[in-house]
Amino acid sequence: MTRKFGPATLSMSVALGLIYIFLYAPIFYVIYTSFAEDIVWPFPPSFTLSAYSDLFSSSLYGQALINSLELATGSAALSTLLAGAGAIGLLRFRSRFRGMVLLAFIAPLFVADLLIGISILAFNARVLGLPGNLLSAMAANAVQGTSFGFLIILAQLVRYNWDMDDAAMVFGARPWRCFVEITLPTIWPSLFGAYLISFILAFNNLEISFYNLGAIPTLPSVAWGSLRFGLGPELFALASLVNGFVFVIFAVMYLLMRSGVVKFGYRGQ
Amino acid sequence: MNKNPTGKTPAGMSLRAAARRRPGLRFAALVGPGTLFIVIGLLLPLLSIVVFSFWRTESYVLYADWSLDNYRTLLGQAAYRVFFLRSLITAVLVTLVCLVCGWPVAYFIARHGGRYRLLLVLLLAAPFFTGIILRIAALQGLLGPVGLINMALSLFGMPPIEALMYTPFASGLGLVYLFVPFMVTAIYLSLVNFNFELLEVAKINGARPWRAFIEITWPLNWIGTAIGMVLVFIPCLANSVTPRFLGGPNATSFGMSLSQQFGETGTWALGSAMGVFLFLASLLAILLIAPTIRLKRSGFTGTSL
Repeated sequence: MTRKFGPATLSMSVALGLIYIFLYAPIFYVIYTSFAEDIVWPFPPSFTLSAYSDLFSSSLYGQALINSLELATGSAALSTLLAGAGAIGLLRFRSRFRGMVLLAFIAPLFVADLLIGISILAFNARVLGLPGNLLSAMAANAVQGTSFGFLIILAQLVRYNWDMDDAAMVFGARPWRCFVEITLPTIWPSLFGAYLISFILAFNNLEISFYNLGAIPTLPSVAWGSLRFGLGPELFALASLVNGFVFVIFAVMYLLMRSGVVKFGYRGQ
Repeated sequence: MNKNPTGKTPAGMSLRAAARRRPGLRFAALVGPGTLFIVIGLLLPLLSIVVFSFWRTESYVLYADWSLDNYRTLLGQAAYRVFFLRSLITAVLVTLVCLVCGWPVAYFIARHGGRYRLLLVLLLAAPFFTGIILRIAALQGLLGPVGLINMALSLFGMPPIEALMYTPFASGLGLVYLFVPFMVTAIYLSLVNFNFELLEVAKINGARPWRAFIEITWPLNWIGTAIGMVLVFIPCLANSVTPRFLGGPNATSFGMSLSQQFGETGTWALGSAMGVFLFLASLLAILLIAPTIRLKRSGFTGTSL
């Protein structure tokens, strides 16, 4: 592989830079403005924390935060459990249903949020007779969370060597004990990654949660309601905090992967 | 030590044969709950809106009066045709823009990223996870009518950029902003499994770089491109949020109208018919692109899956 940078490579690096600017300029501007006194024209800089104190003193946002956290915690736990079991089952045991199962686990990725939201709403309300609440929203969000979690766990698990488990079984370990003592110590980072990703997805989801929560507010739905009346300072503060939260989680995942605790991909034996 | 708790295996049967009998059961026990969950949480709800699409709503209640009325309304009224065509054209254009922007970026990271590859691709994926509303809020802060760019222009006595003021263009730009990470990630995941040495071989045999790209890189990474296109196209077709906040009065999309049927107007039966229509359109997109993917020509053949 040559390391010479020709004009093609140079223009690709320019494209890379432009995409990063496009993606991050709004985010950095929002973080900067969240500390500004005048959100419409925050120059020259004059800093204040009033946007944050407004946000924290608002009981609506406080309640919405608690609801979002509960929703995401439950939804991510369900997603990780189903995705982890599914990925292990699919890679460990041969079956003629493998293709169908794989298809089922990734199918939710190919259905739009809006459709998942309204179809579960209609199904719950008219077929099962369930009202919209935190539990039904947890389940509804876990549909996509399971798919994302499944892909993350699968990506690490394809490298896993099942001989160790077979050896343990030959020496008489029961499947559960074998999982806890041999499989889990190796694969926990991918389960953790799947939990984090499905947590953030459920935490920030608008359309699936919106239709399945009845009148219960979450952060995205309160932000949606607020954005209809234009950009307020509290939205700048909220967006900054959520961005910070997402980036902390991504930093944790990056460090896990960088340090070699997690390895993804098909390389190696 | 109890190797065989069920006690069903005859004494003469080999251990291997006993083990072979169990995997089916353990496979089912492990993948069963997840598969069942997706059947109940995805398949049955979608089937239920197919049923409801033939029903009737009256004052927010669904009645099981079977008819084709909803589809007649949907296909007969010009407004719905306009909404759908608008969504379709937007989705196609946004997908193409993401494709053109995504390829060089993914290629550069996969080929020249070196030890920063992981960092670069995670940084591209991260914004996606902030959620659509806060991302749109951020975009509005910069590009919106009272955003930084237009305020700066007015401060210098210049007119604001009309295209950014509540137009379908602004709505489309918002979609590119929301979904370009999907495209880059999908192409990148395909490219990291691609053997770049093939390009050296092509070069040695006298192929020019663009020819090597068209005949080797592009076809061998078509799977990533195709998945990326589908992953961008589907949410864009169903998009209901960017037209509301960025699009202005002439940008009402199919998804926005659909969400109104389940919100403000409460006409669930018509909304269900729109949902079925939307689902069929996305399914058609998948069915059109799926036959062009040949797994044997992707980097994924070496694994047991």
